[in-house]
Amino acid sequence: MKNEQRLRRLTAGLPAVMILALTIGFFTAPKQDFSENENRYLCRLPSPGREEVASGAFMEELSAYASDHFLFRDFFIGLKTRTEIGLGKKEINGVYIAADDYLIEGYKKAENTERTAGILKGFAEELEGERLRMRLMLVPTAVYVYEDKLPAHVQHRDQMETAETLYKAAGIVSIDCSRALLEQKEGEPLYYRTDHHWTTRGAYEGYRVFCEEMGFAAVPLSAMTAETVTEDFRGTIYSKVGDYSRKGEPITIYTNPEDRLTVSYQDTGRVTDSLYNLDYIQRKDKYSLFLDNLHTLIEITNETADSDRELALIKDSYANSMVPFLVRHYRKIYVFDTRSYKQGPSGFIREHPGITDVLILYNMNTLDSDLGIRGIY
Amino acid sequence: MVFSSIPFLFFFLPLFLLLYYAVPYSWKNGVLLLFSLIFYAWGEPVYIFLMLFASAVDYTNGRLMTRFGSTKGRRRFFLCCSVAVNLSVLAFFKYADFLIGTVNGIFHTAITPPGLGLPVGISFFTFQTMSYSIDLYRRKVKAEKNYLTYLTYVSMFPQLVAGPIVRYSTVNQELHSRKIKPSEVTDGFCRFLQGLFKKVLIANQAGALWEEIRLLETGQASAATAWLGAAAFTLQLYFDFSAYSDMAIGMGWMLGFHFPENFRYPLYAVSVTDFWRRWHISLSTWFRDYVYIPLGGSRVSTAKHLRNMFIVWFLTGLWHGAAWNFILWGLYYGVLLALEKYVWGKKLERLPAGIQHGITLLIVVTGFVIFVFDDMGELGRYLCSMAACAGNAWWGGEFLWYLTNFWVVLAAAAVLAFPVYPWIKKKLENAGKGQKTAAGLVTAAGYIMLFVLTTAFLVNDTYNPFLYFRF
Repeated sequence: MKNEQRLRRLTAGLPAVMILALTIGFFTAPKQDFSENENRYLCRLPSPGREEVASGAFMEELSAYASDHFLFRDFFIGLKTRTEIGLGKKEINGVYIAADDYLIEGYKKAENTERTAGILKGFAEELEGERLRMRLMLVPTAVYVYEDKLPAHVQHRDQMETAETLYKAAGIVSIDCSRALLEQKEGEPLYYRTDHHWTTRGAYEGYRVFCEEMGFAAVPLSAMTAETVTEDFRGTIYSKVGDYSRKGEPITIYTNPEDRLTVSYQDTGRVTDSLYNLDYIQRKDKYSLFLDNLHTLIEITNETADSDRELALIKDSYANSMVPFLVRHYRKIYVFDTRSYKQGPSGFIREHPGITDVLILYNMNTLDSDLGIRGIY
Repeated sequence: MVFSSIPFLFFFLPLFLLLYYAVPYSWKNGVLLLFSLIFYAWGEPVYIFLMLFASAVDYTNGRLMTRFGSTKGRRRFFLCCSVAVNLSVLAFFKYADFLIGTVNGIFHTAITPPGLGLPVGISFFTFQTMSYSIDLYRRKVKAEKNYLTYLTYVSMFPQLVAGPIVRYSTVNQELHSRKIKPSEVTDGFCRFLQGLFKKVLIANQAGALWEEIRLLETGQASAATAWLGAAAFTLQLYFDFSAYSDMAIGMGWMLGFHFPENFRYPLYAVSVTDFWRRWHISLSTWFRDYVYIPLGGSRVSTAKHLRNMFIVWFLTGLWHGAAWNFILWGLYYGVLLALEKYVWGKKLERLPAGIQHGITLLIVVTGFVIFVFDDMGELGRYLCSMAACAGNAWWGGEFLWYLTNFWVVLAAAAVLAFPVYPWIKKKLENAGKGQKTAAGLVTAAGYIMLFVLTTAFLVNDTYNPFLYFRF
């Protein structure tokens, strides 16, 4: 055989062997049910029925099954991302590969600003005449605060411009924590490197501004007990990008030793004395340890609070890590998740004359597409 | 099923090839037919009956033409039957919505369009079967006696979905007896892999860039970005289409078939005439042999020649899709070809080669902008963006942002779209043995690395993380 032919055979042979090896491996390797990295159940082997075959649904499911259980699936997914990053790609799946190991979600053009403003306005009008201190707090995400870390030439929109429009249109007194966050951007991380939330340190800045505006004396961080509950948090953006070589990061929680709390989850009926559910440390979605993830309505009582005031908090998940600071100043906090609380919180607020303050808190990145916001009014 | 997918690459293809090589020659057509039907039914379980029907009609017509076609008139009758059935099938499944929409628009009627999905490969297999009937009428081929062999020809999965348009006369002999040579199997597999890499690593990525730029609002994209987008779409289309042809031709070799080449570096053309000799060759020669020349071609009066060109380019445009922009795109080329023939062709030839390439490339890229927008308003706005008269600047920072993210793909595409590879190959012919071995080893290493990467891209396509706590 000629030298050239041998080389030709090698060129074709290596990929052919790889195909066969992966195919044989597919049939012999044990199958997983659940993907940790993707946080979902993988497809099951479909069974062919007459209708499923005729419509093509069976073939589609079979294709999905083959891809889901492909040998070394996680390796291949990570390989694509790492190659792209290695070749200089700076945006993957809508996430910027930013400086200092930050993955930062981009901010798309807000499409629903008018509708969102209308919802907020409607809510405020319903409670007009009640003697309430109502505040609207729209929190910028990392893409705004850590603009310096973003890759060169990136095109993104200003979140706070949209926020200003909303503040004006909604007619609710605003609390703007964006400047305070910007001032602290050189210090400890205000946002997670791998997740779309702010860290407890970032939430503390938000809380400080809130106190200033509401006339409370903010508890200094040094007066609270800090505890790093995990070093291995890999959040939503980590999953979105799929670069599994990235390291995990810590979550620090703060507790005030003076608080005497009763936390009562109205939907499940569970009552505890802690704002944290540390069972989530063992799971992938570790951010859910704050206020036990999602609940329709949570009633938090602090016997040793500074005041007799009561707060209705209407919010998204950003607020979950700010509540541990807020409890110091309110005898009672009602936390609404308007995605599942369908009745609209205004009725509840009117029926509870004890409520003195209302805070609406959302982050700017998910606000536009958030379904929860529709539940407000 | 598409070639660039996990199910095809890792399950369908190996299983098919193992069986195909294991059985004796007399069974090979049967295995090919069986897998072709599975391949077609995978995405279109119902439309398989349409293909069976169309091929049965043409097969029967062919038999009848041979049996009863003693006079020219009778032969013509059978030919007309076949062409009428094929064109009706095409008209009904591909053009009904477009026709009814146009009629409704002109006469203000409210006929409900059928809204049928387009059967995969219909534009290709109807043209293949028509070529069979016409060649039979012209006594260029003999009628196929075995229906299953005929069906194997029509349904053959390597070229069913996206060409090349293989004429019966081309593969007639190989359908009945063919040789599988080991060297052609390896070369064919390499050709298939080249197509796969082109599709997954270049066409899809260039497509991602185009999708991003396309979604920008008018006025937000600078002219530079608009041109970048147009270039990205051109590269996407060329690499996608030629990749499918590569994969088809490569698989053909592996099975013992020789399909015609479909692309010869079209972006390297020196004139529009030259471009159409290099782009989708099996389609342009089809129209040449079955429409243009029967109409008289260019050996008629200038007026008739222009009419012939108009007809051919109207049809070429229409073949690409049921929308006005495709017709416009076809006529754009018809007009340019006429101008080249009668007005400035000779002058163009005297220009330096670099300028000829450049002008042609600009024409081609602008042409594909017409090709991509089926909404005339959008098309107009995009063309304005390219000329910096849509309230946008010539230049903007976003251009650099897209370049940052896509320069590797664009650079690779630029190298592969021009005949750099044949040039290197030619250089190597005169090289010493040691150099040849080194080049061969680098090629082998490159193939396996690109294959691993392609697999990673294919798996990643199905990456679907559930972002649970997004509220």
